This record gives sequence, C-alpha cells and structure tokens, in this order.
Amino acid sequence: MSGAVTGQWQEAMQLDELWEGEMAGVEVGGEKVLLMNVDGDVRAYRNRCPHQAWALDEGDFDGETLTCARHLWVFDARSGTGVNPDNCRLTSFPCKVDEDGTIRVDVG
Amino acid sequence: MTTRRCVLVGGGVAAASAAAHLRKRGFDGDVVLVGEEAAAPYERPPLSKEFLTGPPELVRPLEPDWYAANGVELRLGVRAVDLDVAGRSVGLSTGERLGYDDLVLATGARPRRLPGFDGEGIHYLRTAADAGRLRAELATARRIAVLGAGFIGCEVAASAIALGTRVTLFEPEPAPLARVLGPAIGAVLMDIHSERDVEIRAGEYVTAVERGRHGFVLTTSRGDRVESDLVVVGVGSVPNVELGQDAGLAVANGGIAVDEYGRTSAPHVYAAGDVAAQHHPRYGTRIRVEHHDTAVRQGANVAANLTGEVTPFEEAHWFWSDQYEHSLQSTGRMGDFGSVVLRGSMAERSFSAFSMVDGRIQGVISLNRPGDVLAVRRMLFTPHEVTAAQLADESLPLKRLMPRTKAAPRAGAR
Repeated sequence: MSGAVTGQWQEAMQLDELWEGEMAGVEVGGEKVLLMNVDGDVRAYRNRCPHQAWALDEGDFDGETLTCARHLWVFDARSGTGVNPDNCRLTSFPCKVDEDGTIRVDVG
Repeated sequence: MTTRRCVLVGGGVAAASAAAHLRKRGFDGDVVLVGEEAAAPYERPPLSKEFLTGPPELVRPLEPDWYAANGVELRLGVRAVDLDVAGRSVGLSTGERLGYDDLVLATGARPRRLPGFDGEGIHYLRTAADAGRLRAELATARRIAVLGAGFIGCEVAASAIALGTRVTLFEPEPAPLARVLGPAIGAVLMDIHSERDVEIRAGEYVTAVERGRHGFVLTTSRGDRVESDLVVVGVGSVPNVELGQDAGLAVANGGIAVDEYGRTSAPHVYAAGDVAAQHHPRYGTRIRVEHHDTAVRQGANVAANLTGEVTPFEEAHWFWSDQYEHSLQSTGRMGDFGSVVLRGSMAERSFSAFSMVDGRIQGVISLNRPGDVLAVRRMLFTPHEVTAAQLADESLPLKRLMPRTKAAPRAGAR
C-alpha cells in the first residue's frame, strides 16, 4: 500500500541531518513519518509497524533492513516490503529531495 | 505418483509458520492443519494485553483466506486423539484417520490448573475463547485476584488496572518473575505494580477459594481473607505431550524431545513450538522455550527441513512482556543474577542487565531499552569480546562493540 501523490509536498527535514544508513521519526502534516536514508536515497514510511502499530524509529536500521524493536519484524528499507514475516509491508509516502537538500513528503 | 501429505497438528503460530514456509519453499503436496480451537491461527501474546484493554481483535500471522488460497486444508475444532507412527496416521476426534508422509507436532501447552480452582468466574488464560470470557467479566468486575505473578499474571494485572479494576496479585516467591528476572529486576517490577495500586502479596498464596454471595472469598497462606469478583490463575503451563508420548516418542524437559533439525525419535515426525524440547547446538543441551517468537521460528525451520534443507535451529530465544507503558525484553541466557552488568538506571526504569562469561555476553534483560536487546541478539552467537566497563558505559553504543564484518563499510556511512 502506498500513498498517492497529491501534490502536497510538505517539508520534513534537511538531507544533511539524515546521514546514509540513518533513520529519523518526524511529524509531517499531523502524520508520524519515518524517514530513511538508504544508500543516499530517501524513503518515507508511516512510522508504525504493520504488526501492532509501534513506532519504528525505536528499531534498528543496518543500512538495508529495518527491525522493529518491539517484536522483531524485519522490513526491506528500500522497498518497505516485509522480510520476516514476508506477508506484510510498510505504508510508504511519496518523498523527494529539493535541490537545496530539503526532504519533502506527501502525506496526502 | 501419489501426492505427499504433511499434517500439522496444532492450531497456533508454530503450525501456521510451518504451513506458510512449506508453501514458500515450493512444497506442492497436501498440507492439512488440525487445530482444536475454532479460530484459525492467531498470536497469543496480545490476549493478556491489547485484547483485554482494547478492541478484542485477533492478530493473525496469516489472513484466514490465505489457507484456502494456498491449498492448506484447515481442520478446526478437531482434536488429534492418537498417533500411529508405524502406520503413519493420526486419529481425529471426528473418528477419521488421516495418513501422513510427514507430521509436525505443534500441540503447544495448556495452563497448569490449581486443584479446586475451577468453574464460573475462575479464569485461566491461553486461548482466544479464554480471553473473550475474561474480557467480558472484567468489564463489570470491581476487584479481581490474580494468582501467580508470572508473565500472564503481571500482564493481566496491568490490563485490569488500565480498565480501572482493583487488583490483588498473589505470588508465592518474594517478587514477581523473580525466577526469570532475578530478585533485583523482580523488585523493580514489584514497585511498578505497587505504584499503580496493585496490591501485591508477595511470599503469599491462596489456600482456599469460597464462593460468596458476591463473587469469591479467598483464604491466604497468612490466614487473611480477600474478596474478589473474579479470579485469574496464572501459575505456568503444561506442554501437550500426550499425543506424542502415547505414541512412544521420546520426551525430555517435559516436552517432546527433538534434535537440532526438529526431528522427534520417530521417523517423519517433527515437533515445534512450546511442546518441543530441542537440542540447541549453541548450548549443547536441550531447551524448551515457551515464547511466541521461538514457536514461529521453529515452525519455519521445520518446514525448511521438511523440504530438503538440512538446517539446524540455532537461533537465540527472545521474549517480551508489555506492562503499563513499560517494555520488558530479554534474549539469551542469564546464568547467575548476582554478577550481572548494569547499563542505564533501575531507578529511572531504563536499563539493561547483561550476563557475561569470559568477555562474552550470554544474555540480557532490558526494561525500556529494546534497542539493547536487538544489538545483543545479533552478537550472542558471534565471536566478540567486551568488558563490563564497556557494557556499563552508556556513551558507547552497543553496536560499536559488534565485531567487524568482512563487508566494507558503505561509502558515506559514519
């Protein structure tokens, strides 16, 4: 499940605050969003584990996979798909980085 | 050529996980899941927590329509009553006999019952049906008594408090969960419950229960009388070994003995989950783990071994318990509680207690520091060397103590 682009690009963070291999929980337009820098590409997901809705930014990001700290569900950071279990996925938001390094997210 | 048939006995997450991984690995034979409960497999951990305090929704490892869509036959509300390992068949409560090529025993465990504590208003908690009854009665109960401050007892106490119910919690040991967590962490847990106005009666147990005009009157080992509208008993569980044991399977540690590949003493019969006492290659001994995560992983491992892989199960066991706003987690084995290394602060309720032997972490118990448990879980079975001072130093990220892997660090990574 992915959010559609609605054109409401809201400022979320500056790219130089989000190093490669790092993630951060932010709030964008009242929505809790997880930003991840995956090898230089920024991804934005709803900051809730699909299992029991715990915040994902308390988990562990090893640069490729994200592990929810609550119950160890594992996700592919690049695609948001579940690795274990593999029948789930993170909700993603459209995300882009402006030329001045502003990360913008479209939460709809 | 006949179709190969795999029968999964048990309706919990170990069986569901086995079914999912059989199909994932391309097993194209018949898969039949025989479960005694009416519900398709669901996760039990929420039953003492969110299921009681929030909407009574089951968290499912697989959507109910997954089974039909993947050709897995669900035989729910059906009990496996006998097993013939020579003839490779299992008898069902419906009177049928089901032949198998391979069988997975994932029969789980049942609550240990206290003699004399039975009937209306006295609750044991294992199944969704149990939780549904408890939830309904908690809605109108003013005060409850919880017998046993283990995981179930502590979590039910916390849930009942969240619902505005008065709770008396009995624990024969000096502190809740003292055997699992050690006396110091047990004492922290006791404070947490006391502050929420749980009346903890540690070192005390209930000797008799009488039905009064309004609920129950309990007589305690100190001779007190305590009133309650309902009683919840959480005094451990008993693995459901009978089906396997009666068929002649070897038992160990109270469970069905299996090797590191999940194989029982009978050919083509495997066991996984709470009922399995499995040889763990990392420990060189049999252990039986009654935790959700291990059941899921053992189910997956058995499926792998059933489909031609030869993969020992050597994962670290791990568990969590949520009580009020607190998250308790643990992985590995703790050993001697007297020599743990503490990171963080017990007073602030944010700490990890590490068990170490010869510069290696053996296990950790964390309160509100789940990241520490994640890090330790990765390190446990990897060669590493740490000092007590490093573990205690909060300014040093645990990740930094992880041995360097061969992979080159990614460009730009810190």
